[in-house]
Amino acid sequence: MSTGLERQRQPPVEVTEEELAAVIGDRALARDDHLNAPGFVVRPDDVQDVLSDLKEQAGFDHLSCLTAQQYEDRYESIYHLKKYADPTQEVSVVVPTSIDDPVSQSAEPVFRTADWHEREAFDLVGIDYEGHPDPRRILLPETWQGHPLSLDYDQEKPQIVTLTEHANPIQPDHHKDESDTMFLNVGPHHPATHGVLHVKTVLDGETIVDVDPDIGYLHRCEEQMCQQGTYRHQIMPYPDRWDYVSAGLLNEWAYARTAEDLADIEVPEYAQIIRTMSAELCRIASHMLALGTFCLDVYGDFTAIFQYAFRDREVVQDILEDLTGQRLMFNYFRLGGVAWDLPEPRDEFIEKTRDFLDELPAKVDEYNDLVTSNEIFQVRTIDTGILEPEVAKDYGCTGPVARGSGIDYDLRRDDPYGYYDELDWDVITMDGCDNYSRVLVRMQEVEESAKIIEQCLDLLEDWPEDEREIQANVPRTLKPDADTEIYRAVEGAKGELGIYIRSDGTDKPARFKIRSPCFHNLSALEEMVQDEYIPDLIASLGSLDIVLGEVDR
Amino acid sequence: MVGSVTTLPLQADDTVLLPERIGDLTGLDAYGVGGELLAAFIAAFIVGNLMLAMTGVAGPWAKRKITAAFTDRIAVTHLGPAGLLIIVADAVRLLSKEIIIPENADRPAYDLAPIVVASSALLGFAVIPMGSGIHLADPEVGLAFVFAVAGIASIGLVMAGYASANKYSMLGGLRAVAQNVAYEIPLVVTGMSVVIFAGSLQMSTIVEAQAQTLVSIGGIDIPAWYALVNPFAFVLFLVANFAEVGRNPFDTPEAPTEIVAGYQTEYSSVYFVLIYLGEFLHIFLGGALIATIFLGGPAGPGPAELGIVWFLIKIWGIFLLTQWLRSAVPRVRIDQLIEIGWKGLLVLSFANLILTAVIVGLIA
Repeated sequence: MSTGLERQRQPPVEVTEEELAAVIGDRALARDDHLNAPGFVVRPDDVQDVLSDLKEQAGFDHLSCLTAQQYEDRYESIYHLKKYADPTQEVSVVVPTSIDDPVSQSAEPVFRTADWHEREAFDLVGIDYEGHPDPRRILLPETWQGHPLSLDYDQEKPQIVTLTEHANPIQPDHHKDESDTMFLNVGPHHPATHGVLHVKTVLDGETIVDVDPDIGYLHRCEEQMCQQGTYRHQIMPYPDRWDYVSAGLLNEWAYARTAEDLADIEVPEYAQIIRTMSAELCRIASHMLALGTFCLDVYGDFTAIFQYAFRDREVVQDILEDLTGQRLMFNYFRLGGVAWDLPEPRDEFIEKTRDFLDELPAKVDEYNDLVTSNEIFQVRTIDTGILEPEVAKDYGCTGPVARGSGIDYDLRRDDPYGYYDELDWDVITMDGCDNYSRVLVRMQEVEESAKIIEQCLDLLEDWPEDEREIQANVPRTLKPDADTEIYRAVEGAKGELGIYIRSDGTDKPARFKIRSPCFHNLSALEEMVQDEYIPDLIASLGSLDIVLGEVDR
Repeated sequence: MVGSVTTLPLQADDTVLLPERIGDLTGLDAYGVGGELLAAFIAAFIVGNLMLAMTGVAGPWAKRKITAAFTDRIAVTHLGPAGLLIIVADAVRLLSKEIIIPENADRPAYDLAPIVVASSALLGFAVIPMGSGIHLADPEVGLAFVFAVAGIASIGLVMAGYASANKYSMLGGLRAVAQNVAYEIPLVVTGMSVVIFAGSLQMSTIVEAQAQTLVSIGGIDIPAWYALVNPFAFVLFLVANFAEVGRNPFDTPEAPTEIVAGYQTEYSSVYFVLIYLGEFLHIFLGGALIATIFLGGPAGPGPAELGIVWFLIKIWGIFLLTQWLRSAVPRVRIDQLIEIGWKGLLVLSFANLILTAVIVGLIA
């Protein structure tokens, strides 16, 4: 079968481990290889040097994730680097710091996205980053005592978060003497923040001077909870709750992929096809919702488009309900496969899904008539919320947001998993870099997902009955070797959804870190809305398609 | 500025207005000025309540049903036939809600604003001839009067926006002023082009003028409604009117999802009802104005007694249009809105005025 997965540009020449070692040179104190990538241990004051050399000389332009953790004898920050041109080339930069004085150099001057990451590392683990431009807590309240993911943290100790020590959010006047700007709280309760997001906005008239997204309202300690669950069954329900607007299976796959690679589990081909199909159904549902809510932001009311998008998403939800038994929190994937086969009668399910796919083109046409070809819609969205590709990369943007800025990056193709590399589909990119492009990318991705589902259905239909193996043989208790570390990502609905796991020889992960695409995409908001109007702030926020459950975790 | 066009019959003097008729029927005429005042009051009471009743139907019920039809839903069904009794339930609900007034609200401006918004719209109906003899007053400056009192609403919006001591309200209030200033002028100027045709600002005259026959096609007389005589002006007026009453795609002063609810953010309970009422009344007043000066007022097939029915159908037609736009058209940005107003509509409306004046001058 021909695969339509040719890249527009050839991937750069692979950098070998020797060359990497040469780039880092003496600064590498030791090696600390992870399952996914070679790891180099560097001194805390060499961080910027090493990262910028890796970026400039070896082409690692994507700081995919920063994991912070505490061992008995040290703190550790791990910078997971990738290339946008080829995400299979990875390298980890491991920065240990002492227990008594956990100070490490900030990577923010090299990668903008390190800003939020290091704030989170400080907030949850307690590592200080020297030279960080904005060393505040990010998820927890400013007055929180201690760092919850550090080893000496006392979870029993009650925390009193006083309101008085916060700046009064409804303080009537934030005027500085000489300035004409106005401070405006957009959120945490606002009709257009898609969840509990608080955007501190400074306005000059109606023009945005500065925005500062204040997140963490929906922080539910997901990483901590995953660290307390056993690999085999107890972690899988959680991913459904990160990006909870119908992207559940895509999230589950992130955990499944990471844990399966960690424990070396081979997934049967048949199960991979079911996974691929159901994950793409989730993507359609998720993109439908993104379209509906974006239109809600631009049109300003629960209008026809919102309802149409929900009507069509409803069909997908029904199909997923038939398949998994659930409409939102699926918990359908298992390590080594899926929970069960297609529902009986099988023909009926396949028929129903095919009916949906048959009707989809007409619906997409309807959206194009009603939304994307509307002149007012175009005036509102074209050339607003500009996100240049270089800026997007600096902020670690992925998914439709990156692809709307012309970055040809899709893990389904570039770092293949599941059954994607056997199927015929395309990665959609748009060069507009604006709100309009991001909408178009999502609309066209719906069509590509439909193609994928169609091919999966063909395969599933013809699969011999006695070879329908949905589950590999997986031990009842998984205990990966101690100190095995892995970082793996999949293409979630909003972008690169990655998970880092360090095992300590028990049946529970010692560190479980989630790389949320929404977290990165949201951090780019301030670049997108400079000097734009309030309506464009709202539209840009909508076009990022964030889910606060995934931002805050 | 209006050249007199004497070819049109001026029958305004023969018009019997509603207060006079009530005075006649009830014998209140006999009691001098006091009696006349009372008759006028009763007439105003009838007209006012007619409009309020329409709003009552439109807000809680018709709007829901219409929007539902556009968005593949059913809306209210359980209370009464077709859910009509939701009006009662909603009235009870809205009136029984707690009224929450911000601590820093600037009173009494905060309290006056809803009343100004609602009453300014209601005042406009005084000079609208609704057919079937329902016409409160017919001053010679009728059209100017409607524009004038409808314009008072802007003050109410500013008061609401400023007095709420809320930044969203403030933004909404400022937007409302900018928008009203930008669109009031095209609205009035386009209205003037009608006055040039009719030769009078008097509402009854304008309606009379449209009763003439424009052309006869196959024995059917097409009346000289100004929407047909000058469709360009009609469209201009329609657009400016949507902006003036702040409906999609020009609902920037409220702009839910952007500035929460604009100037009405801090209003609850009865105040909210009044502001909401004011908005609907303004839509209906806009509809009434369009019906009167472009769609022949109460004119329609059948006996003249059916005038009010035709008139209401025309108003509801305009209302339906606003709801359609609300469901299907995105909102323009505030700067785009101002640009459309000053650079587009204003220029077009003056062009229309001059063209109309030249054409009418040549024909006359």
